[in-house]
Amino acid sequence: MRASIFASITNPHMKPEDHAWRALNDHAAAQLRGGFADRVLRVAHGPDPAAWRQLQEYAAAQLRPSFAERVVRAARQLPGIPSLLEQFFFSVGTAAVCAIAVSFFHAHTDQLEDERNLARWHQIAMVAIDEDAGR
Amino acid sequence: MESTSPNALADLVRRAQKGDEDAQRELIVSYQHRVAGFVYAMTGRSDYVEDLSQQVFIKMIRALDRLQAPAQFESWLFRLARNTCIDQLRRQKLRRIFLPFGEEHENIPEPAGAVNTEELDALRHALAQLRPQDRALLALVQEGRSHAEIADVLSTSVAAVKARLHRAREHLREHYQSPHET
Repeated sequence: MRASIFASITNPHMKPEDHAWRALNDHAAAQLRGGFADRVLRVAHGPDPAAWRQLQEYAAAQLRPSFAERVVRAARQLPGIPSLLEQFFFSVGTAAVCAIAVSFFHAHTDQLEDERNLARWHQIAMVAIDEDAGR
Repeated sequence: MESTSPNALADLVRRAQKGDEDAQRELIVSYQHRVAGFVYAMTGRSDYVEDLSQQVFIKMIRALDRLQAPAQFESWLFRLARNTCIDQLRRQKLRRIFLPFGEEHENIPEPAGAVNTEELDALRHALAQLRPQDRALLALVQEGRSHAEIADVLSTSVAAVKARLHRAREHLREHYQSPHET
């Protein structure tokens, strides 16, 4: 670049401001990395169908041989999907078991609470009888 | 499968729905390359291609009897593929949140240059910058799905698909450069 500036300065036909413009252009051009035009075109056009095709081919190459056979075998070994009716009955059954468990627990805690209350009343009654007898 | 007529495909699907394993196998062989490509475009990971493609086809076999219209098979299959990939990406994201130091290898993106050409590398890099939904959109278009079919797959309107597709293409173009150049 220095050489071109020197050349333009030494060129008697060039106006002084042209030296600066030339220098500015040279400096700006030096900022562009190699393959600039290719990059611009690539961004402008986006990926072409060939790139997508390559992507698919590359992905397909990742599948090991006998892929279909393995899938069919794996699907065969898995248990069947329950039907909607089966799922409904399963949900109803689960809800029923939960309801029974909750009501059983509730009844059990109620019974325990009653027994505790009765025991307390009994204790109070005994204390009252004792106090009456003492008086 | 592109060369197969719609009627032949519908017949094949009907046979597969009845549990004919040969027909199921034929469907898998016909679509495995396209599904693998879709999975790779969605995840950007070569090591997921086989597993996720297998999951897609197993789901296909197990749910095939619920497909009402055999003519809609292709868009139905790619909907399964999209949902499988989105689920996988979500699981991966959750795992990263809850196990930030676990399975570190999962978070390492495939190295640049791992694939064979500059164009493919650039496309892979550009896809990785997009949201999974946008990747799915672009991959579905590449699969030849119409706007109406994509709208059906994504449960949205055709106008929304067009708008999103326009934005996704713009983003892809912006990022379409080799990772070495960034």
